[in-house]
Amino acid sequence: MSDLAIDIRKIVKRFDEHVAVRELSLQVPRGSVYGLLGPNGAGKTTTIRMILDVLLPDAGTIEIFGRPNTDYGVLDRVGYLPEERGLYKKMQVRRVLLFLAELKGMRAADVAPRIDEWLERFGLVTPQKNWGDAKVDELSRGMQQKVQFIATLLHDPDLVILDEPFSGLDPINAQALKDAVLELKRRGKTVIFSTHVMDNAEKMCDSVCIIARGEKVLDGSVAEVKRGAGTRNIALGLSGGAHNGVTEVLRDSQLVRKFDDTNNYFELELAPNADAQVLLRRLVDAGASIERFELMQPSLHQIFLQRVGASGVETGMSGHG
Amino acid sequence: MGNIGKLFVVAKREYMERIRSRWFIVMTLLVPAIFSGAMLFPVYVAARSSASGGALRNIAILDASGTGLGEQIATTLKTDTTLGRPDGIEPRVIVATTAELPAKERELQTQVEQPNSLVGYLVLTDSTLTNNVASYSGRNASTINDIDKLRTIVRQDVMIARLQREGVRADVVKDLATATFRLKSERITERGRSGSGTGGFLAGIIVGVLLFMSIVFHGQNVLRGVLEEKSTRVAEVVISSVKPEVLLAGKVLGVGGVGLTQQAAWLGITAYLMSFVTPILTKGLSGQAAAAAADQFGGGFATISLATIGLVLVYFIIGFVFYASLYAAAGSMVNSEQEAQQAAAPVLILLMSTWLLVNTVLVNPNSKLAVALSWLPWSSPIIVPLRVGLTTVSPITIAGSIVVAILGCIGAVWLSARIYRVGMLMYGKKPSFAEVARWIRYA
Repeated sequence: MSDLAIDIRKIVKRFDEHVAVRELSLQVPRGSVYGLLGPNGAGKTTTIRMILDVLLPDAGTIEIFGRPNTDYGVLDRVGYLPEERGLYKKMQVRRVLLFLAELKGMRAADVAPRIDEWLERFGLVTPQKNWGDAKVDELSRGMQQKVQFIATLLHDPDLVILDEPFSGLDPINAQALKDAVLELKRRGKTVIFSTHVMDNAEKMCDSVCIIARGEKVLDGSVAEVKRGAGTRNIALGLSGGAHNGVTEVLRDSQLVRKFDDTNNYFELELAPNADAQVLLRRLVDAGASIERFELMQPSLHQIFLQRVGASGVETGMSGHG
Repeated sequence: MGNIGKLFVVAKREYMERIRSRWFIVMTLLVPAIFSGAMLFPVYVAARSSASGGALRNIAILDASGTGLGEQIATTLKTDTTLGRPDGIEPRVIVATTAELPAKERELQTQVEQPNSLVGYLVLTDSTLTNNVASYSGRNASTINDIDKLRTIVRQDVMIARLQREGVRADVVKDLATATFRLKSERITERGRSGSGTGGFLAGIIVGVLLFMSIVFHGQNVLRGVLEEKSTRVAEVVISSVKPEVLLAGKVLGVGGVGLTQQAAWLGITAYLMSFVTPILTKGLSGQAAAAAADQFGGGFATISLATIGLVLVYFIIGFVFYASLYAAAGSMVNSEQEAQQAAAPVLILLMSTWLLVNTVLVNPNSKLAVALSWLPWSSPIIVPLRVGLTTVSPITIAGSIVVAILGCIGAVWLSARIYRVGMLMYGKKPSFAEVARWIRYA
């Protein structure tokens, strides 16, 4: 038994002259929450589709739990929530769920009782109405998303792949989704999700892979990635904002490589060879009223911007990661 | 679970969801009602139309022939049962000389011009018997049925009168004149007699129409199903669980099953409706007329053997799979119903090209064209069952054409699966032919 949930080796996917994924390799440890990060058009969805054998790679290999993803029954252990969501509109919710679970090799008799469990858990069974008996198009958008999520998990997959799961979710459903992901992890399942919202990834993921223009920029555990980026960052809190003297200090390229200004709160990156203590002294001398001065690890968001840059988004793409 | 298991999961969903729909139930009940109505109506009209001939009793016969022909015709009109039951109105015979004719005619004309009076008048002159000429004027002179009927009666009575004048015995004359002649046609094939010739023709047409209609109808259904999966974006989840080829095959199988179910229901319901509608229709008709009427539609079906039904079934399945997979490919290329009609046009053209030649095959089922069409995979599923109903097709030709059609089928499914695989995940503008060709290469 491999201890990798997914082992991708040098996969390539070309669409006509455009290369969507270029020699991408990544390893996802079993039981981890793994973030696939990148701007829109970076090749995230294309990669996920290749993992699921929806698209065939032009080169390279993909293994899931130590077996090629094209092997019999391998994909039955995977649950997938695509970015573009949708269900059969005219079908009864219960029947849609049953159908999708049967497609994953489940027996109808085993699935039927679990459908009710899940519907109850997601609040789709109320004393007034059992939404399982309604047709899909009678449900609100939020309820349809819950049904879609149930469909992803109903067959109790060992690997769950969520493509941009937070897009279009209201804060309550987003929180429910985070809870569900953590529960999956507790139960030893592997979760992969793609996102371009770094904040979510930083809070939830054990490991990440950042890709841009179809290529891997970096990967590893979140701790490793942050350590690798060094602690050249400083969180600076000022009461009353920055006046001219303070701004002048921050603009000194001998001290500060760049800074992020949100009026009262700044994230700074020190210039190479600059000393944080010197900066602190200069700020005090300049008359800054300092509330917070903290040497910190860069956020994933910063690492992302630093490594990918604003140009990481390739123009002219379909919009699919 | 293997691909076969998943194939049946997909097929089961397609089948059950369609069978459950209100549309299916309505169509299944409505079509046989319309169908049997359309078949029974002409029979009903044929059986009852003669009743309108009653107007012929309300005419005057101006007889200047000097032979009593007028009386003879009047008697025939009175006793002819096809003109409806005798209702007290009887033709009036006015015997006149040739010289009196113009005056009498004017007199009758004024009577006819009155509403609710005499319908018309028949004029027999002294040359009627020798030159076969008579004339009729009346309000119903444009009613083809009435005039045909009158012509037949006058001709018959003229014939009787002339035969009697030549010395033929009256009862012989009567017998000859009233005999209707029926020519029974029976087709003989290598396997022996196989029922009435016209029956086979009728059955052939019905089988052809049914095959064509159901392929078009259910083929369009496949297209719509594919389009729905694509436009609701459910396709991606489904394709992540089952190979596109399996999804395509399951869909075609499920919808095809719906088609077969519907046709079985149609035939069953139609047969049932006919079985109790026919006696009602033919009630009051003479035994012979009733038999003829029943034969007109019943006879055709009686000649269909079990082997023929099996053959039609095989060709339906092959033809359906061929066209339905092409329809599915067309559906996977586009994003809206309007675009779908355009994308499906080549498929429809292929089907129509066959349909337009059906008539030629009906007229001459052994022509070179008919034989050629039996070997082309896109036309053989319709043409071969048609020909089998009409003529003798050698078993080798049938077996060969089935093999070729199955090969064509495999080709169509292969091609469609490749287009489908790529098309299902392509959103945006409708692809050009060059793009589709690239999909086929890359998939």
